[in-house]
Amino acid sequence: MTAETKLAPIRKGLLEFLVLKIVGARSVYVADILRRLAGTEFATQEGTLYPLLSKLRREDLVLYEWQESDAGPPRKYYRLTEAGKAQLAALDEYWNLINRTIADIGT
Amino acid sequence: MQRISVTVTLNRSTLQFDEAAFQRLEQYLADARRTLEGNPDREEILADLEQAVADQCTRRLAAGATTITLAELQPALDEIGQVQAPGPTLSVPGGAARPLRQISEGAVISGVCLGLARYFGLDVGLLRIAAVLLLFVTGGGMILVYLALMLLMPYAPLERGGKPLRKIPAKSRSFVEYVRGKLGVAAA
Repeated sequence: MTAETKLAPIRKGLLEFLVLKIVGARSVYVADILRRLAGTEFATQEGTLYPLLSKLRREDLVLYEWQESDAGPPRKYYRLTEAGKAQLAALDEYWNLINRTIADIGT
Repeated sequence: MQRISVTVTLNRSTLQFDEAAFQRLEQYLADARRTLEGNPDREEILADLEQAVADQCTRRLAAGATTITLAELQPALDEIGQVQAPGPTLSVPGGAARPLRQISEGAVISGVCLGLARYFGLDVGLLRIAAVLLLFVTGGGMILVYLALMLLMPYAPLERGGKPLRKIPAKSRSFVEYVRGKLGVAAA
């Protein structure tokens, strides 16, 4: 088993954290999220992102409004709710803690 | 005899597909529907995917062409990817728990089972069977438990711009809101 396959479940779990981070930085369309993740280890397809965003909306972490677009039908424009901001802050803090632990152990 | 093209409405767009592309699309959407079985957001996700397919195909269509073939559809589907069920919700130790909420969309009665299934990460079908079995075992006492949960559990917010609720979930919800109003309980 390579290091990459070992870390696959962790990457999958962290996608939600990264999506919250991206939506939290500024309100975004789905295309913005895909573009931001493309070329990273977290490159994602719409088939994965839509179910995830629906789940986050169901959990009150993100919400969207419809925005007219220049070409084609209106688009969903996502932003974080107050609960989403709180969740993101908690995840950020915990992630830093994990990073410190990993860095401290074995030195 | 052969059908030349099929007119397809994908969410908010209408496009022409040839027969082979139409069949491939039907198969893709049927697979997605199956993967999302039991997901309360299934219809919304399928609408999002349909719109993504429409956008991607339109973008790939050569100037002047009107009918989408596999040459446009297949790369579009490859880029969108198979639909993937989202993983378990992230939670931070000691952080706020997932809210326990009733879910009206896709509910049979009021959404108590759907909410409990979501909260505990259980299969809603199994939970519903268990609830019906308990109904018999308790000689109807389960009805009181369900009513209590229905009145006590807050509702998850409705999908904006979503389809209207089916009759029974809609009636249950207005009943609960009416009772809460009478009791002076703030309806969530």
